[in-house]
This record gives sequence, C-alpha cells and structure tokens, in this order.
Amino acid sequence: MSRLTDIPIRIESPDRIQSPRLTESPRAVAGLGGGVMAILAELVGLLERLASGDLPATIDLRSLPMSPQDRIALQSALGDGEVQATLDAQGLSSIRETRVPGLWWVEHRDPRGEIIAESIEVTRIPQILMSALDEIGAGAAALRAQIANTHVA
Amino acid sequence: MLHTDAHITVGEMLRRHGISRRGFIKFCTATASAMALPPEMGVAMADQLRGAVRPSVIYLSFQECTGCLESLTRSFAPTIESLIFNVISLDYDDTLMAAAGGAAESARDKAMHDNFGKYVLVVDGSVPTGAGGGYCMAGGRSAEDILREAAKGAAAIVCVGTCAAFGGIPFADPNPTQAWPVTAIVGDKPIINVSGCPPIPEVITGTLLQFVTTGKVPDLDEHLRPKVFFGNTIHDRCYRRPFYDQGKFAKTFDDEGARNGWCLYELGCKGPTTYNACATIKWNGGTSFPIESGHGCLGCSEPGFWDQGSFYAAQSAAAWGKAGEAVPRKVMEVAAAAVVTGGALGVGSAGVSRMRQRRSEQDAIDRKSDGG
Repeated sequence: MSRLTDIPIRIESPDRIQSPRLTESPRAVAGLGGGVMAILAELVGLLERLASGDLPATIDLRSLPMSPQDRIALQSALGDGEVQATLDAQGLSSIRETRVPGLWWVEHRDPRGEIIAESIEVTRIPQILMSALDEIGAGAAALRAQIANTHVA
Repeated sequence: MLHTDAHITVGEMLRRHGISRRGFIKFCTATASAMALPPEMGVAMADQLRGAVRPSVIYLSFQECTGCLESLTRSFAPTIESLIFNVISLDYDDTLMAAAGGAAESARDKAMHDNFGKYVLVVDGSVPTGAGGGYCMAGGRSAEDILREAAKGAAAIVCVGTCAAFGGIPFADPNPTQAWPVTAIVGDKPIINVSGCPPIPEVITGTLLQFVTTGKVPDLDEHLRPKVFFGNTIHDRCYRRPFYDQGKFAKTFDDEGARNGWCLYELGCKGPTTYNACATIKWNGGTSFPIESGHGCLGCSEPGFWDQGSFYAAQSAAAWGKAGEAVPRKVMEVAAAAVVTGGALGVGSAGVSRMRQRRSEQDAIDRKSDGG
C-alpha cells in the first residue's frame, strides 16, 4: 500500500448524513429559507447598481452559513442562462451565467476535484474569462516564432 | 550576469511552470476565500503578486516535533507546492531541503545576506536556553544564536506553532530545557504568532501569503495572532453551540448525550476560551475538526495550554483567565522570571513588556478577586 488513498476508508460528512434530501432534485425543496431570500435581495441591489454603472461585485458563497438545501434552493431560484464556460487551469472551473443576466455562478475546483472557491459574481463578464494582456503579447510572439519556423511546402 | 530564481517575478515563475493568469487567479481566489477576505481580493492579489519578486523565506526549526511542518505540507488552499514553487522562494528549511550540512547552512547565510531586511523568517519550535543552549544545536550553534542572527535581517517573523509562539510543550512545567517563545528572545521585529499544536495548515499558508501580498503585518490580537483567523473562539463558531445554550451536555464519551452530539463542555472542552479557526476552516481540506469527531477542544492555540490540568476536566472560564486574555498564572510567573533573567539572556524588551503588562493585568484581576 503506497498511497493514502489506497487505504479503504470512506468518510461521510455530517452534512450528508444529516441531509438525506441532498440527493433529491431541486424541485423537491419546498420554499426558500430566510438566508436564501436575503442573498437574493442583496443580488437584486447589486444588479441595480451594476446596471446604473457601478462596479462589479462578488458574493463569496463559502463565507455564508448555507446548508446544502439552501445552496440547492439558491441554484434553483437563479436557474441556468445562455453562457456556460469550463476553465481548465489548476483543476476545472465552471463559470455560467444564471437565468438573470449579469449574475454568474463561479465554481473553482482543484486538480483533485474538490471545490476550493464558490461565488456569485455580479458583472458583465467575470474577469477570469478575459485573456491577460501580457499573455496575449507572449502568445503573439510565440505564434510569430512558429510562423518563422514553419516551411511552406 | 548571474540570474537566480530569487530575482525573478512570481509571474515569470508561473509562466515557467505553465500556470496561466487564470490558474493563478483561481489560487488567489481560493486563498482569499479561506482567509475571509473580500472576494474581489482574489483578482487584485493575483495581479499584484504576478509583478512582484518572490520574497525569500527562511524556515528555522528549533525545539519542536515537526508536527507544524507536517501540517503545513497538507495545506489544501493554497497548497504548499503552489506556494513554494510559485509565490515564495523557500531558501532554507532543513527538513524539506535536499541540501544538508555545510551546503544547507551556506544556502541560509547567502539568502540572509542577499535579502537582508526583506526576508520572512519562519520559526518553528521554542528556543531552549538551558545548558548553554546545548539542548538544540545545528551546525555547532545554539538555537538562540541562530535565531538572533537570522532575526536581524528579517522583515517580519512568523512563529508557526504554539512552541514558537508561546513556548508550547517544552515551556510546560517544569520546563527542563529553559525553553522560551520567540517573543522572549527577539523584541525589535514585527512578530506574527500562528499558534496551534499544530496550527491549521491553511492558517499558516494564508498568513504567509497575506504578508507576502500586502507587505504588511495583518491586524493582530493581543497575543500577536492574526485576527482574521483568531478573532473568534471555537465555542463561538461551534456547530454544537445550540446544545450548550440549551444546557444539553454529554457526561461521558459513550452516553446518550455523546451519541446525540451534545456539547462537550463538561468533558473538558476548552472551546469557550480558545481562539482559533478550527470550527470554520476545519482540518484535512475542510473535512472536520476535533469536536466534530466527538472530542473536546484542547485549547492548543492558547498560551500555557499544556499546564491547565486534565484535558478531560471541565474548567470554568475563570481558570483560563478572562476569555481572549487567557494567560494562566503559571505562565505569568515564568514570564516574570524572564524579566529577571532577561538581561543575561538579552531578552527582547517588547516581548517581555507584553508579558509584564499581562502580568500586571492578571495581578489586578487577582487582587480584585481576593478583595471580594
């Protein structure tokens, strides 16, 4: 046995043990808790400010005391929009616009698949999707070198 | 011209390792989230760090068990690999580095010389002063000697673990090696205490990253611990807190209360007087923390935790001092000895004055109690 993961131990988180409804579909979650309603109200305020020219904002979902049911309820309330992007950098990330334009649900995972950050960004487009200027310059130089080294038949 | 890794920026190092700006934003976003910083800080942190030269970090291990380093190497966000390879230049760590003997000592001396006034000094373990410092020697020099020299050029000192921060287990009665915390030796440098036995890995890496990013010492509590991680008691954030409020306590480790997950206060839990982030950040990548596994908090991030009697006896908050100012009387007495021997030891004035201040506060509390 050479690796820790080879040890046959299964860890069940208390949340999962106490929350059998986690496996149910979002539709099965009846109503919205007070915490979820508060988040939705905050999002409305941030959206209105963004629409009037204010700066983008972010809500860190991991800093909020949300139960798994709350999370599902919030996802269900916001739904899915037109854009879904997958980022493959140091693990996969899911960046998708919700049904509400300007609200982006961003979930970052590490190379092991564990969620390391989860937030709702109130913005026209999340910054992480935009190419960096220095990397664009480096990319252009690399492409130029590639062209120079390519022999046309 | 000699172009060493120590002089390249974080951004260049990231490129060398094939990590894009996006990948680094993820890293910083996760770190900001773990540190309870505003979420926007992730992008700002990433952009600032990419242009910065990687700061030199020198990690000294003294009278310790290596549990703190074991903890550090298990950090999930950020991982220690990403921190070492991309953000900092770990120039000396006698446990992790491949070099040994004279080559290792030379690497430390070179890093200290090249980065004088700028490097971050991480200290793990207490500093034994008994037997002429003979209880902990490396390369023929005592821990105290090495610490004093390394502290001279440090921008800040991060004390990792309760031993370096408060003396820890070596400092416990009867303290046979005459061990001291770093604050008793060095008094003229910014010191950040990251206590715990061991500290939570993400608290160590988060504190290092925060200092590296901002170049500033974070807001500290009276024990010099970052408030962002040590601002609340375990009890404040414990998921069993409702049972405490309802007066539902486990009386033994196998009774009905224990099975129902009731409060462990009567089984010796020190959560009400212990400031740490175990209940929120948790351990092993957020899996759980001791209370979640059915065992009370030992109070390991507080000064003098080893001398508080049984871990399994319920203690009133009074026995641990006023909440948040938990400096036990015995610690105060030993600290008073530090004042007496301070001249001979060259004990730093700042650390001692802090202990003096706490002693006078404790004495005032005691006098008030005695006087009814």
